[in-house]
Amino acid sequence: MIVVVGLSHRTAPIAVREKLVLDAAGLPDFLRALVQRPEVGEALLVSTCNRVELVAAGRAGFDSDLGQVAKACVDALAAHSPGIAPHLYAHVGGSAVRHLFRVAASLDSMVLGEPQILGQVKEAYEVARKAGTVGSVLHRTLPRAIRAAKRVRTETAIGSGQVSVPSVAVDLTRQIFGDLSGHCALLVGSGEMAEAVARLLKVGGASVIVVGRTLSRAEELANAVGGSARPWTALQQSLAEADVVVTSTSAPHFVVDYEMVSAARRARRGKNQFFIDLAVPRDVEPRIETLDGEFLYNIDDLSKVVSDTLSTRTREAASAEAIVGREAEGYDRWADAEQATPTIVQLRARLSAALEEELARSLRGRLKHLPEADRAALSKMTESAVNRLLHQPTLRLRQAALDRASDGLSLEQLSAAINELFSFDAEAEAVSASENPLPEAEADNSGLSLAPKARVVASRS
Amino acid sequence: MTDVATIAFYLGVITYSVAATLFFLELARKDGDSGRAQWAPRLLAVAFALHAIHVLTASLFSHVCPIDSLHFALSFSALIAVGAYLALRERLRLSALGAFIAPIALTFLIGAQFVGQSSEAVLGVSRTLLMFHIAANVLGIGLFLIAGAAGSVYLVQEHRLRTKKHVAAIGSRLPPLDALDTTTHRLLLAGFPLLTFGVVTGAVFSQQLTNPGGAESLRSLLGYATWLLLATVLVLRKTAGFRGRKAAYGTIAGVVCMLLVLLLYVVRASGGSNL
Repeated sequence: MIVVVGLSHRTAPIAVREKLVLDAAGLPDFLRALVQRPEVGEALLVSTCNRVELVAAGRAGFDSDLGQVAKACVDALAAHSPGIAPHLYAHVGGSAVRHLFRVAASLDSMVLGEPQILGQVKEAYEVARKAGTVGSVLHRTLPRAIRAAKRVRTETAIGSGQVSVPSVAVDLTRQIFGDLSGHCALLVGSGEMAEAVARLLKVGGASVIVVGRTLSRAEELANAVGGSARPWTALQQSLAEADVVVTSTSAPHFVVDYEMVSAARRARRGKNQFFIDLAVPRDVEPRIETLDGEFLYNIDDLSKVVSDTLSTRTREAASAEAIVGREAEGYDRWADAEQATPTIVQLRARLSAALEEELARSLRGRLKHLPEADRAALSKMTESAVNRLLHQPTLRLRQAALDRASDGLSLEQLSAAINELFSFDAEAEAVSASENPLPEAEADNSGLSLAPKARVVASRS
Repeated sequence: MTDVATIAFYLGVITYSVAATLFFLELARKDGDSGRAQWAPRLLAVAFALHAIHVLTASLFSHVCPIDSLHFALSFSALIAVGAYLALRERLRLSALGAFIAPIALTFLIGAQFVGQSSEAVLGVSRTLLMFHIAANVLGIGLFLIAGAAGSVYLVQEHRLRTKKHVAAIGSRLPPLDALDTTTHRLLLAGFPLLTFGVVTGAVFSQQLTNPGGAESLRSLLGYATWLLLATVLVLRKTAGFRGRKAAYGTIAGVVCMLLVLLLYVVRASGGSNL
């Protein structure tokens, strides 16, 4: 199991989040330093503008003391950026898995359903993999988180539509014109939102003309968005050239009226034209909508689309949570079954070693006349025998790991019995005694003492 | 050979049906990216291949040129429509048109089974000219079917954008208005010379018939109406910027006339009318 330690827009204001910045160049070293700690065996760091989270596992894989791992992560982050400890949270075990799955699925994002987070999680995994700080636990956990996120994106509408007015405006423009290259956008007036729309249109390949009452201001804006400026007197001519018209003036009356658009339409020979009116009071006379091929969206229309998209995403969040829940439960079951693995591995090693030893002895003695092919066949037979012998015990152990609530013998009881019968513990002690013991200070790290105000969310680990 | 044709026919019907269903589900879906988006055109391509195998093997077995009998001509028109759609789909972002093309192809494939398979013998008519007449009409029908479908989708998309309803949910899955308008126009341009040839040769044949009857006259009249409607759309577009919604209505009206002509052929060939 894993821990997730970090902070996000939910727990820390931007003034705190900006303190915890780990640059890309220094990140591998930070992760390597973290896994040098005796408690931490694996780690990766998910870093976005809204969150910084360490995902870590202990040295003993699924049997690690997760409290100690979480404490080590909190210490590492707090040491890197003093003052952030009160804003840190720690998810441990099943809670950490669910949190990671929700983050990857964009259910914990500031903008629900935003698509960037999945790429950022993948990138974090890749960086850690290259830094050599990912082991068996994270190698098995991250792909499951990514899979859960992909399921959420494909099986729900959590990522549908656009959630900002400029993005919606450009999306609608594409629904009319398709590829924007070769099309002309006219920006009438100024304003942050209009500028943002113009920039997006420019990025999409459209050429941009800026018309303003003050030419110097229009030129300034044109330079900012990569377009060309024209004086106010060129408005009618520009209207005839423009496929998309974005208006954002502070005029108290319509600056683009029905007659102007009718004249422009004749000059355009009926080609479609899209008006995006971001001004209040409105700049474009609503009557132009009655003209064939003229489309008009004002700020209310665009806001309504944004609102509809957000409502859809919120409705879809329940389905997305259900998918994440099922994926996390699947992970829990798999992780439970994994707890039987060390016993199974020991058992297999013991049986294989015993049979191979006996076989080797016979091959040196009475069976030494056997040709190489027969020897290989005997070796294969031994391997098959081990598999057959261990088939039932393996199933039984995995079942015991999964059915913890059942009345039968528990995994611990079965493992203890096997240890006792095969003397695994005595063997382990003998091996341990032959190696260098840890220094006393490092070995004695029992008990979890996170930073005083760090929140810990724990569940079955 | 007949077995191959029969198997290809039934598999084609199944594949067209599934492709049509997937195209409709794709249009109606509310969620994000969907695997259906790729599967529908792939299945349509498979259906196209099966359809082609059916037409080829069945016509070989019957010793009939595919453009020399109404039975195969009907089927062949749909085949051309599907082929043209598959060729233009990616370039012009016309994926959503599959929801129209697949059912049309299915209808034509099945409908052709109810029309006599024998080569049409028209007394007093040049057989070579008749073959060119049918070939031009088959190609024209194929192109106009897509033009009609593109015009219909244009009206749906335009209505959606104008009423500002569900533009975020479904609008982006439909082709852009400009792409639909351009497609309609290009297909009309490509099909119009074929239609003109078909109408002219059809008029020649009508003159040669000793007793044309009411059905023949009606068919000729509808043929002229089709030509006139589509010619008007093309001329007005060139001279008066007649495009978008009006052009779409004009194209659909022309295609409906063309389908009525085809219906009269089918009714006559199946012996369902004494007109």
